[in-house]
Amino acid sequence: MLTRYENVKMTAKPIRNTQKSNSVYVNETELMDIYKKLTFTAAQDEDIKRENANIDGDTAMGTMLKYGSEGSKFFIDHYVLPENIAQAHQNGDIHIHDKDFYMLTETCCQIDLIKLFKNGFSTGHGYLREPNSIESYSALACIAIQANQNEMHGGQSVPNFDYAMADGIKKTFRQEFWKFFRIYMQIKTYLEEIEIDAIQEKFEQKIVIIRLHLFQVYKEQFEEFLYLNVTQDILRDAFCFASQKAVKATERRTYQAMEAFVHNLNTMNSRAGAQVPFSSINYGTDTSEEGRMVIRNLLLATKAGLGNGETPIFPVQIFKVKEGINFNSKDKNYDLFKLAMETSASRFFPNFSFIDAPFNKKFYKKGDFQTEVAYMGCRTRVLENVYDPKRQTICGRGNLSFTTINLPRLALKAHGDIELFFKLLDKMIYLSFHQLLHRFHIQCRKKVRNYPFLMGQGIWIDSEKLAIDDEIAKILKHGTLTIGFIGLAETLKALIGVHHGESKAAQELGLKIISYMRQKTDEAAKRTKLNFSLIATPAEGLSGRFVLMDRKQYGVIAEVTDRDYYTNSFHIPVYYPIKAYKKIQLEAPYHSLTNGGHITYIELDGDVCKNMDAFETIIRYMKESGIGYGAINHPLDRDPVCGYVGVIDNECPRCGRKEGESVSIKKLNELREIYSNVPIYN
Amino acid sequence: MYQFIIKEDTVLNNKEKNEQNQSAYIDQKKVGANVGFARIRRITGYLVGTLDRFNNAKRAEEKDRVKHGCS
Repeated sequence: MLTRYENVKMTAKPIRNTQKSNSVYVNETELMDIYKKLTFTAAQDEDIKRENANIDGDTAMGTMLKYGSEGSKFFIDHYVLPENIAQAHQNGDIHIHDKDFYMLTETCCQIDLIKLFKNGFSTGHGYLREPNSIESYSALACIAIQANQNEMHGGQSVPNFDYAMADGIKKTFRQEFWKFFRIYMQIKTYLEEIEIDAIQEKFEQKIVIIRLHLFQVYKEQFEEFLYLNVTQDILRDAFCFASQKAVKATERRTYQAMEAFVHNLNTMNSRAGAQVPFSSINYGTDTSEEGRMVIRNLLLATKAGLGNGETPIFPVQIFKVKEGINFNSKDKNYDLFKLAMETSASRFFPNFSFIDAPFNKKFYKKGDFQTEVAYMGCRTRVLENVYDPKRQTICGRGNLSFTTINLPRLALKAHGDIELFFKLLDKMIYLSFHQLLHRFHIQCRKKVRNYPFLMGQGIWIDSEKLAIDDEIAKILKHGTLTIGFIGLAETLKALIGVHHGESKAAQELGLKIISYMRQKTDEAAKRTKLNFSLIATPAEGLSGRFVLMDRKQYGVIAEVTDRDYYTNSFHIPVYYPIKAYKKIQLEAPYHSLTNGGHITYIELDGDVCKNMDAFETIIRYMKESGIGYGAINHPLDRDPVCGYVGVIDNECPRCGRKEGESVSIKKLNELREIYSNVPIYN
Repeated sequence: MYQFIIKEDTVLNNKEKNEQNQSAYIDQKKVGANVGFARIRRITGYLVGTLDRFNNAKRAEEKDRVKHGCS
């Protein structure tokens, strides 16, 4: 059944409305109406221009992007999609995400910078040599993320950021070490340059790790240099001096490199200038001194904020929590876990992922980052691999596409008949499978040539084994084809009158529904040897789309269609009062079912920085409950005039102004004597 | 030596003048009119620096969010 769509048919004439020639014309007018809206209204007044909050719909390039997107959707609907699928999307039974990119590319990829940097790489517009310092590592990481972003429609992720940057730190340390060593020897001895060269040459390749006391390690080998008329004491002192100075200098340079990394990812435009790359980085488990230095300085730079103390929006940062590595006070990276929580309390990031969650832990091999679960951007998870079970790894893999099922609609259709609900769900799941495969076969016909960076530079797994005009069908099978869902809470309300926060029976039914969906994706994966998976959809543009249509059809139904949005995936409704621990308990079982991605949020009140114990308790409880990926939200406001960051109700607690009011420079100058981050005005 | 002292005098005079001018200027000048507060919120996993760019549905959702007690 599933292989029927192997040959995707495309027609030069519209598939739909061929009988009534007039209706095509009507549709084209519709498209032109959209173009008029895009052109003549401000984003402020037009919802369509705010579909994605991180794209500025008011700019020329933002509008150009929307022209392309809307035109493409029209083309896909009328010329590409099979009738039943086009209809299912249009009437809101399902939502095909990133439909505008249907004919073009895949969602996202986990980029292995270690592999990419080895021997240098090309962006398609120029060749870059292998980087040799932490500054270049950080700059090239940004370039790689940006280059890949321009070839895919979803976010870009680095799953092993600490391990990848650690190599740059080793190189930087080595440079600094020899710089200081030479200075010391030149001042303290009468050795010729050429003689110092000889010492450096002998040890150059050996100074590869950061140690404050390198001399003990190499003591015996120094005896060879006794003929040079330098004493062991001098050599020892030179080593001590150089290694201590080099550690300090490397630390400082790393901070600046991480600061630049965060600044760059918030400022460099991609996709013709409409947005910055949607970037995520995972880290936290590298226990080497170099890896620790990366994590520490990245967190410190994030905490410090951007130029005027603003909170960095990108990259999404994910701290990987693992027992024995950073979770308990005796673990080597526990200090970094602490720092991560402090940073998150003032900057929202990092989020926390849990390698010890049973469904993540079963893949974990100590010391092998390829087996440490990574999450992308909003929540995507790619780890299992039915196509190649020997490579259940993270690097070079990603999501191909995903489609969301409108669960509340099925519940409304079933009128409380649970058996009927499952029948309808079954149909919708199969329709989604067909649609995902239809799209997959289009993706498979693409060639390496279509992705000069993603495939041409070996970012995607095994792409380095293909020639430029080879089709990518085979290697795409490492990616995931994913079904998602929205509004479990509204679904349960419509079916039995209560949602899973309100009753045990509802939670049981909720788990039954999602387990059923997972069972179906597992079956499909087994049958096709393709990585079908289930995701707790990260709905942004979608959050309001389904409910508007359902309200029209079924009327306003309390706590089902009466709000302007459907509740995200399996979440307890945002408006429902519930204790943090209870929310975690109830949502955790869904994490193990949604192998394509998931996230749980807790909303905290007031200034979290002043209550770090509560913060840590929640994160630890998430880990103990089997949550895969979680984060804590809290109000985070900033007054750009006086630089205050924290909770602002009506007036700024620092300068006392209300929104829109002015404040005297005299006052700001006084404040600057107390606080360091008050902006300077001329 | 002599020249140096004269120079320093000039510097001082200028500095004083500047200070006088500036303090008068400062008393008058105000900043921040029509500048709003930046309110950062998370939306489907990504952060957004301003609520202005939220779509209507997400604005409604953000407004409804309640806090979760810790006890």
